[in-house]
Amino acid sequence: MKQSRFRHVAFYVMVLTVALVVLFPFFWMLSSSFKTQVDIIAWPPRLVFKPTLHNYVKVFGEQDFLKYFMNSSIVGISAVGASLLLGLPAAYSIARFRQKRLSVFILVARLMPGISFLLPWYIIFSRLGLMDSYIALILSHMLIALPVIVWIMSSYFDGVPTELEESAMVDGATRQRAFFSIILPLSGPGIVTATTLSFIFSWNNFMFSQVLSMERTKTLPIAVYNFVSYAEVDWGGVMAAAVAIMAPAILLTMLFQKYVVKGLTMGAVKG
Amino acid sequence: MKRFFAILVAVVLVGAASAQTKEIRVLLANHPYGELLKNAIPEFEQATGIKVIVESLQESQLTTKLTTEFATGSSSVDVFMTRPLQEAKMFYKNGWYAALPGYDFSDFPKNSLSVVTFGTKTYVVPIVTEWQVLYYRKDLLQKAGVEVPKTLADLEATAKKINSPDVAGFASRGKGAAAVTQLSTYVYNYGGLYLDKGKAVFDSKPALDAIKYYGRILGNYGPQGATSMSWENIMPLFQAGKLAMWTDASVFYGQIIDPAKSQVPAANIGIANMPAGPKGSSPFIVVSWGMAIAKKTKNLELAGQFLTWATSKEFAKRALASNITMARNSAWEDKEVLKVVNPDLVSTRAFAAKNGYPLDRPYMSAVGEARDRIGELVIESINTKGGSTKLEPMAKDLVRKVNELLEDTGEYGVY
Repeated sequence: MKQSRFRHVAFYVMVLTVALVVLFPFFWMLSSSFKTQVDIIAWPPRLVFKPTLHNYVKVFGEQDFLKYFMNSSIVGISAVGASLLLGLPAAYSIARFRQKRLSVFILVARLMPGISFLLPWYIIFSRLGLMDSYIALILSHMLIALPVIVWIMSSYFDGVPTELEESAMVDGATRQRAFFSIILPLSGPGIVTATTLSFIFSWNNFMFSQVLSMERTKTLPIAVYNFVSYAEVDWGGVMAAAVAIMAPAILLTMLFQKYVVKGLTMGAVKG
Repeated sequence: MKRFFAILVAVVLVGAASAQTKEIRVLLANHPYGELLKNAIPEFEQATGIKVIVESLQESQLTTKLTTEFATGSSSVDVFMTRPLQEAKMFYKNGWYAALPGYDFSDFPKNSLSVVTFGTKTYVVPIVTEWQVLYYRKDLLQKAGVEVPKTLADLEATAKKINSPDVAGFASRGKGAAAVTQLSTYVYNYGGLYLDKGKAVFDSKPALDAIKYYGRILGNYGPQGATSMSWENIMPLFQAGKLAMWTDASVFYGQIIDPAKSQVPAANIGIANMPAGPKGSSPFIVVSWGMAIAKKTKNLELAGQFLTWATSKEFAKRALASNITMARNSAWEDKEVLKVVNPDLVSTRAFAAKNGYPLDRPYMSAVGEARDRIGELVIESINTKGGSTKLEPMAKDLVRKVNELLEDTGEYGVY
C-alpha cells in the first residue's frame, strides 16, 4: 500500500517536472505578449503586472496579420489538398506493389536540404511570371507535404489486410473502386495524422516562403520578423505574433491528438 | 491539359503586360529609415507616375533574398537597401551593384564613401551612419562624484568606483564575433588596426594592449556573463537601470531615452565621445546602410529617379528630424532640424565625422569568419580579465588564419 502511494506521488512529481520544463517557454511567451516593453525587460521578471492588449492591437491592427493568416491558410490547405490527391494513390501503390525504390526516392526529396531547390525554382517561377503568386508557394510547399503523406500512408496501407479489397474485387469491383470505397474509408486515422502533420510543417515553413513570397503572399513565419528591426526588437509584438501563429497548430494537434498517435503506430506492428 | 496551357499562356501574357507600365521593385530593410521611406512612397508615385512595388524584410532575410535572386541572374529587383561593411565587397565582386556615374556625392563625409568606392567608381549611396559613443548615467556618476571619463584610464577608474553587486560599472559587447565592432575603437585609440594594407595585424602590440584592456575592464567591472552579451542583452540592462556606462553604436540612443522602453528617466542619461586612448581618439564611424541599384535592372532610368528621390537632401532632413542619423552633411547643418536633435548627439557626430575611422570590422569578403576568429581573442581576454599569457600566441595563430581567408579570396596584400 505504502509502496503504491509512493509510486503515485513519484509519478506526479515527474509529470509535473516534465510539464514545467516543456510549458515554461509557452508561459513566458504568453505572459510577455501581454506586457509592455518595460515589463518584459524588467529584472527580476515581473510575475504580477498590468496586462495590456497593445501587442495584439499591433499584430492585427498595424501589421495586418489577418492577411498573413489568409496567405498561410491558402498555401497550407491547397498544398496539403493537392498532396493528398497525389499522395494517397501513390502510397497505396507503394504499399501493395512493394515499390520500395520509389518510396526511397520520395524520401530522398525530403532529406535533401531545401535550399538546393530554391535557385532552380526561383529561375523557373520568375521566367513563368509566377513570382509572388500562390501557385509557386503551393507547389513548393507540396515538397514538404507530399513525402510526409506518402510515408505515413504507405505504412498505414500496409497494415490494412489485403483480404478486404480482394473480396471486393471478387465481387466485381475494380481496384480503383476497392481503393476508394473500401480502403480509404478504413484509413481515417492515418489520413488525419498525415494531414495534420503535413499541414503543420507547411504552416511553419520559413525557407521556401522567404524567397518565393513577396509582400502580397507573405506567410506568417516571415511576417513575425516585421517586429525585428535593425538594432531593435519589439519583443511584445514578436511574442503576440508567435501566440497567434501557434494557436491554430496547437488547436489542430489537440483536436486530432488521438488519431495522430494511433496513425503513427498503426503501421509499426504488422499482424 | 489544353486548359492548363491556356492558363499558362495567360499568366505569361499578364506578366509581360505589367512589365510595360512604369513600375519598379524596391527591397527595403526593417529599419526606421525604411519605414519612413515606405510611408512616403505614395508622394513619389504621385509626382512621377512610377508605380513602386515595395517590400520590407528583416536584415538577414534581406541579404538571403538578394543573394538568392542575384545568384540566379533573373532577379526583378531594381533598387535595394544594402549594408556596405557586411556585403559590399562580395556584391561588388559578383557584379551585382550598378555604378552610379551621374550621382552627386559632394554632400557626404569623405570617410563614408571610401568603403563603397571600388577603383574610381562609387556603387552605393550612403544613407545612415553610426559611430561609437559612451552612454552613461548622469545621476550615478554625480553620486559617485566623478566626471564623465575622457580617457580610457578614467573610464576604468570610474567603472571601478561605481561597480556594485546591483549596478554593473561598465558594459560593452563581449560575445565573440559581435564584440569585434565595438572593440574596434579601443584598438584604434591604442594605435592598432585589424587589417593594414590587406594583411591582418591585430597581433601588434597596440592591438593586443587594447584587447587586454577590453578584457580587463569587462572582466572586472562588467555584468555577469559578459562573454555571451551583445547589444540585445546589454541594452535591456541599461534600460532597467542595472548599468552605469556602456560603449556601443549611436543607433541605440533613441531607444534608451524612450520612456515606453526604458525605466531610467531620459534626464539621467548622457551621451559622450569615446574616451581617448594612448594614441588619441578615433572612434569608428560607419555607413550602416546604403542604397544601390541592381546591375541587371531593366529600368535603369526609373531606378535612378527613385534613388535620387529617396536619398535626397530633403528626405535626409526629414529622416534626421525623426532621429535617424543620416549620412548627408547638409542635414546636420540645417538649423530647423538641429532644433529637434539632441545637441550631445550632434557633437559626438561632428567629432566622429572629423576624427573617426570608417571601419568597425576587418573589411573583407569573409568578414563573418574573420570576426569569429577575432572574437575568440575577445572571449579569452574577458575570461581571464585581460591577464591570459596565451593571448599573444593565440593572436599570432589567428592572424595567420585570417590571412589565409584573405588569400582564399585574392584579397591578401591588396588594398
